Amino acid sequence: MNNKPLTGVQVEIQPEILIPDYLIGEIRSKLAYVDESITQAEVSPDHIVLHLDPARQEINAGRKSEIIHKTHQVVNSMARGAFKPKIQVLEDHLDLQLPYQDDPMPELAALGEVSQEAEGIFTLGPLLCRLIDFFDRQFVDLGSSFDAEPRRFPTLIPAQFMERVHYFRAFPHSLSFVTHLREDLEVIDRFSETAACDQGSLNSPLESFARIKTLLSPAVCYHHYLALADKPLVGGKSIATAVGSCFRYEAINLTSLERLWNFTMREVIFVGSKDFVLENRETARQRMEPFFKDLGLAYRVESANDPFFIGEFRKQAAFQSAFQLKFEIRALLPYRNSTLAVGSYNYHQDFFGRNLNITLPDGAPVHTCCAAFGLERMAFAFVSQYGLDQKQWPAFVRDSI
Amino acid sequence: MPSQIDQPLVGEIQALLAEAIQVPVEMVTADLTFGDLPQWDSLGHMEILMRLEEKYGVEVNAETIARLVSIPEILQFLKENEHE
Repeated sequence: MNNKPLTGVQVEIQPEILIPDYLIGEIRSKLAYVDESITQAEVSPDHIVLHLDPARQEINAGRKSEIIHKTHQVVNSMARGAFKPKIQVLEDHLDLQLPYQDDPMPELAALGEVSQEAEGIFTLGPLLCRLIDFFDRQFVDLGSSFDAEPRRFPTLIPAQFMERVHYFRAFPHSLSFVTHLREDLEVIDRFSETAACDQGSLNSPLESFARIKTLLSPAVCYHHYLALADKPLVGGKSIATAVGSCFRYEAINLTSLERLWNFTMREVIFVGSKDFVLENRETARQRMEPFFKDLGLAYRVESANDPFFIGEFRKQAAFQSAFQLKFEIRALLPYRNSTLAVGSYNYHQDFFGRNLNITLPDGAPVHTCCAAFGLERMAFAFVSQYGLDQKQWPAFVRDSI
Repeated sequence: MPSQIDQPLVGEIQALLAEAIQVPVEMVTADLTFGDLPQWDSLGHMEILMRLEEKYGVEVNAETIARLVSIPEILQFLKENEHE
């Protein structure tokens, strides 16, 4: 969560059950969604401290008790009967001597390389842009090694599609909704005359806006599956690559370039039989390993799970872990001695094939995999390990940008 | 296919599955496999595992989650572990 100055009211809570170590981070991030007043949460196995901002909403005894009750609900739902994930490590190159140990954000800001527009929304300067282009070229090369067809996908995605892939149930907390003014002259005139921002929020009544049919897309590969929906897959296989803007709202978890609301992903997408997609996912990982090693990146590739929302977390995370559906590329951030997911190799089984009615020549649903790389995170992890002095960078990176 | 001697246990498993994934028991055939019915998805699978845990003491862990993906597999697993 954010490292903002701690002000306001503190609430201390003793969980009804002990929180296992492996769930502390997941529970801390989910507590952000308990109440709008929460500005920070500290979690240990037997103790939770919530920091509340009374300026957002008054904190009286009733509100405190409500927040405590909701916190217990979150902890109990996620930790009661939790299944310990089995972590499988496929690549481990964390133990490297690195030339830089500081948080690069202050230096990036001082140099005009990052400029924050709002929580989780940043513009980037020339050096970071060139680094991002450099990384993207490597991922494009990965796609080319599979003869992946280039695709361009929109930023918007229909709500109906997200419903078909059960996104509302699995990740409701991270959705970003899109609307527009209703096609009504009075409404539009009134808006143009009175619209203003009050503490950053538009003052217009909600009735001015059309019903929501569209969202901002949370992932690139979804668009490819949508394009293939409700028909047999021609030739029984497809490999595509695309880069696109993705949006995942993360409340107070939005932090520097580590966790953006609006970010960019390059994906290489595999659709076909189970063997076809799994073989290609593994080949993609093996083809990327020499690049990450040559880059001198301190990282590991290990099994992981998606950040499912509270109600589904326990079951879905255990399922993903048991079937090894997701492997994350986690780069070291030396300044906080922790790792950050900069990419992932994902297998969705026949989930999209079944729910979107995409079939193989024998009528069975297709299986899907994707290799996904977060471009801003990739650049951020690199400058966290190598700093902004290009003399410290690996020569081939310096020469390529 | 299960032998005649397994039939009562197969029937029990079919009933347990039907309840877990909320489908009529007639839809749960003796050779049903994960994914055959849309209701036997990841969430349905975990619900089945938790009910197997409650009824037969099956430990829910990475191995059982990945292995018990069909009625024949569940039957085989229960038979292997019946004396433990």
